[in-house]
Amino acid sequence: MSGSPLASSPLAVQRGILGAVLLVVCWEGLARGLHLPSYVLPAVSEILAGVWSKRALLGEAAGYTVLEALVGYGLGCLIGIGLAVAITMLPALRAVILPAATAINSVPVVAYSPLILLWFGIGVASKMVMVAMALSFTVFLSTLAGLDRVDRRAIDLMRSFGAGRLSILWRLRLPTALPLLLAGMRVSTVRSVIVAIITEMLGAYGGLGWVIYQAVLQIDFVQVWSAIFVASAASLSFFGMIGFLERKILFWK
Amino acid sequence: MQAAIQTKDMPIAGSPEATAKPSPLLELRAVTKTYGPVAALSGLEASVAPGEFVTVVGPSGCGKSTLFNIVAGLEEPDAGGILRFEGNSCHAADLLGRVSFMPQRDLLLPWRNVVDNAILALEVEGMPRAQARAKALKMLPEFGLTGFEKQYPHQLSGGMRQRVALMRTFLFERGLMLLDEPFGALDALTRAMMQRWLLDVWQKYRRTILFITHDVDEAIFLGDRVLVMTARPGSVKLEQVVDLPRPRRPEIVTAPEFVRLKRTLLDAIEEESMKSFQSAVAQEKAT
Repeated sequence: MSGSPLASSPLAVQRGILGAVLLVVCWEGLARGLHLPSYVLPAVSEILAGVWSKRALLGEAAGYTVLEALVGYGLGCLIGIGLAVAITMLPALRAVILPAATAINSVPVVAYSPLILLWFGIGVASKMVMVAMALSFTVFLSTLAGLDRVDRRAIDLMRSFGAGRLSILWRLRLPTALPLLLAGMRVSTVRSVIVAIITEMLGAYGGLGWVIYQAVLQIDFVQVWSAIFVASAASLSFFGMIGFLERKILFWK
Repeated sequence: MQAAIQTKDMPIAGSPEATAKPSPLLELRAVTKTYGPVAALSGLEASVAPGEFVTVVGPSGCGKSTLFNIVAGLEEPDAGGILRFEGNSCHAADLLGRVSFMPQRDLLLPWRNVVDNAILALEVEGMPRAQARAKALKMLPEFGLTGFEKQYPHQLSGGMRQRVALMRTFLFERGLMLLDEPFGALDALTRAMMQRWLLDVWQKYRRTILFITHDVDEAIFLGDRVLVMTARPGSVKLEQVVDLPRPRRPEIVTAPEFVRLKRTLLDAIEEESMKSFQSAVAQEKAT
């Protein structure tokens, strides 16, 4: 998958690092040179120092958020892949599931958050459900597109060997669907962290979103930025991890 | 038509067992297939004896692929025709899993290496992987794939990919092998090599082969018998026995007997091509 921004040659990696360093230098220079107050834009060094001094608090919060994002991610992927496979095996279901899934997804997932918080409480369960809801549709659509992309002639060949539907699904359809399925899963990584944080801001006992919300109330903008830094580090490493797995699995691409 | 009558009663030089008139392995009688208003096959009659190598040529769009899909069990012919396999009358669907079919494209799975692609059919049958792999490894040298067992399709040349696909077809040991223009996409040199190689392998394993091609030279060089199909709706126009001795040398293509056979076949095909061309023109005028 050359389309993945993290899947690339050493040169591209060097460029990426160079870009990040430039951004940090400009940011630092701007914040210090213009003596910007920290509620407008704190310097990067200030934020990193904030992360270090609050490492226990941020670490615990990140643990919450990552747990919610990961469990929600796993659930969402299972639901999305499961529905796509079910539709492929029982084509009659397509006319039932596709419109329902589209209707649920025509509204931003955040709109459901009051209901989800009501049903699943303020704890981690509601965040996991929100993340699963937000991801399953993306994974479902990309898996379905992958499963539909299979070559008609390859199916005929399998049938001529006497293969049944399950055998064709396992040996042909699923491997054919993998590139699109994994691309959908990679895109969903970042989304899972975002949805977990947003839901935490709407009501939670902990997590990075909760830390951000509390810090805003206390007008502690260095802490807001610290939490954002930790959150983006978490999502980038999740993204990188799935991207890495994707390249390992799709060795033939 | 004269040629058909003339050759039908002659003994077949290439396969002595055919003279004893064994019951055919595959028999098609009055087979018809229509897709809505389009008739692809109409009253097709053909039979293939055990151990025979039969080639099928015809103008493009003559229903060759429809014929193959029926024999592979992928499509059901219209009611009324008779389909017999190993002496028993059957539906096309009964042939699924009983005929080893090789489509035009190699259709190798990119995530499987050479050996695992070759054993696909065995795996579907339920043979344990280790046993299937051992069987495939033994066959590698004959298919010119020694040392390539761990390679993936994208690392292979077109000729090698085709040999892997053929190996997959051979490993699926069934009474009848169906090859649909297996060398159509290869360059002329590779194709000539593959033809000779296929004859060697066929003579060793003595499988029954039904082979589609649009190349008359290939049809004569390989076949015990050549079936020429008519323009659509397809049926068998001419059944030409190829009484050239085996093993056949590459030079045989310039021998007078070969050229004479080629003339007969080309005339028949040209007549049909003209018909399908004229009917296409007529159709255009009508609309």
